[in-house]
Amino acid sequence: MLHNPIRVTLAALLLGLVITPGCQRAAYVPTARFAPVTSQPVAKTQAEDPAIAALIAPYHDKVTAQMAEVLGTAPAPLTKAPGENPLSNFVADLQRERASKELKEPIALGVMTNGGLRAGFAAGPVTLGSVFELMPFENELVVLDAPGPVIEDLFEYAAHIKMAVSGATYTVTFDGQPKDIRIGGQLFDVNQDRTYTIAISDYLATGGDNLSFFKALTPRHTNVLLRTAIADHIRDLTKAGQPISARVEGRVKAN
Amino acid sequence: MQRREFLRNSLLGTAGLTVLGGLANSAEAAKAPIKLTILHTNDMHSRIEPFPDNGGQWAGLGGMARRAALIKDIRAKEANVLLLDSGDIFQGTPYFNFFGGELEYKLMSQMGYDASTLGNHDFDNGLEGLQRQLPNATFPFLIANYDFSKTPLAGRFAPYKVFEKQGIRIGVFGLGIELAGLVADKNFGQTVYLDPVAKAREMAAQLRGPEKCDLVICLSHLGYKFDSSPTKIEDRKLAAQVAGIDLILGGHTHTFMDAPEPIAGPSGHTTLINQVGWSGINLGRLDYEFAHGTKRGGLAQASVLPVREIIG
Repeated sequence: MLHNPIRVTLAALLLGLVITPGCQRAAYVPTARFAPVTSQPVAKTQAEDPAIAALIAPYHDKVTAQMAEVLGTAPAPLTKAPGENPLSNFVADLQRERASKELKEPIALGVMTNGGLRAGFAAGPVTLGSVFELMPFENELVVLDAPGPVIEDLFEYAAHIKMAVSGATYTVTFDGQPKDIRIGGQLFDVNQDRTYTIAISDYLATGGDNLSFFKALTPRHTNVLLRTAIADHIRDLTKAGQPISARVEGRVKAN
Repeated sequence: MQRREFLRNSLLGTAGLTVLGGLANSAEAAKAPIKLTILHTNDMHSRIEPFPDNGGQWAGLGGMARRAALIKDIRAKEANVLLLDSGDIFQGTPYFNFFGGELEYKLMSQMGYDASTLGNHDFDNGLEGLQRQLPNATFPFLIANYDFSKTPLAGRFAPYKVFEKQGIRIGVFGLGIELAGLVADKNFGQTVYLDPVAKAREMAAQLRGPEKCDLVICLSHLGYKFDSSPTKIEDRKLAAQVAGIDLILGGHTHTFMDAPEPIAGPSGHTTLINQVGWSGINLGRLDYEFAHGTKRGGLAQASVLPVREIIG
């Protein structure tokens, strides 16, 4: 760090501020004196306080141990890739399942973009730490009630990047448009006067990842963090003797 | 180290002379001014340990054990220190997911925090989650514009507290952001949000009046500014609308301010706003000097001291 007394002294004079203590009634007149940088960086060069470090240590060890807890096993990697991929299918499906359980109603669709998931699962044991890496954000699982035109926007967005949508299948035309959209096996008709439920993260529901067409809708809360939903789902699979697996199953057909 | 000490002393000398030459008469100069150092954080978001040293934006920065050492170092040099926080202590690392804020409060207590206010994320485990952790905090949470009277937290929070340092009275009060829409309904329950401007006026009148404070500080979790919502209350509007606040220590918007911003308030009073980012990346510092002035008050001058380069 530079120590230039001349520069600093000049700054001290030039940056002088005038303060009028309005309805001052007390005995003293305060004078503020602050640095050009009144934010002191807490950087690597700063030594640690040993007493505080000692207080942190047992918690650190517990966090590390809990992060190492094995929740389940993936026989094959769950990776993310452009278009339909096992990881997004896995998460979007469990979103629907958990939201349906929380709100006690069937949920038609589940949406998760590639950008929303940060890292896939490697083959082998999946720990709580792996789930934190997959979903480090404090995103809440929410439900949208989307009318036909918003669903149409969603599938136009999806078709452009060949993104799969849980609960639906569709075909992408040669010019990147969706056709033959089927929701729960039923052919989608934009003119039908109804809404479709979508299980989604609050981040995406409020327009994140350019899903701006959702912005006008009011999300319904589940008060469950998406990360919690993922970890719980894996624990449930393990309890039921099932592995962590998902596959590309033709939710998006290219034409 | 010796060089730094030398600089520190010589700079203090220079700045001190500037001020004394500018406004004090010889009688006032005879009495040494009393100095107060205000240290502050905001939006620490459970960042117990430094950010992982992985090349990310804030890699290797922050860490409460380091901050504690830095604070201890300042306390060793300064007689009067107030250590304050502007809320959102909770949420952001697995430490919060696993321990619900217990470690955050314990560490802040051990570091000697004097007061904090409540941020929206401090409600993330609901009123019960907050209540469970309160016994781990030896410092008060000051909040003037949340009415908890219909909640299990009724009577647990004071709107303000007056600190006395060598006869100087420092009034500190807290303001929180509107919770509806930001916090899940069930997490704030029957907590009622009250108009921060009206409450701030009430606080300033109380602290300037009956409490006879020499300095009035607002711990605000309202946010520095909201460009996309021109009508939403923010620290800058608060400062412009409410007379009698000397300093707003802000939060919520995670704003990294290079220097405190002066805002002209009604009746000519200037309020300073400072906010130092988030996650304990920075420790904010402002030094005040209190001259034995007249009760009429008058012009005081603020000059600038290089805190970063002194502490280094």
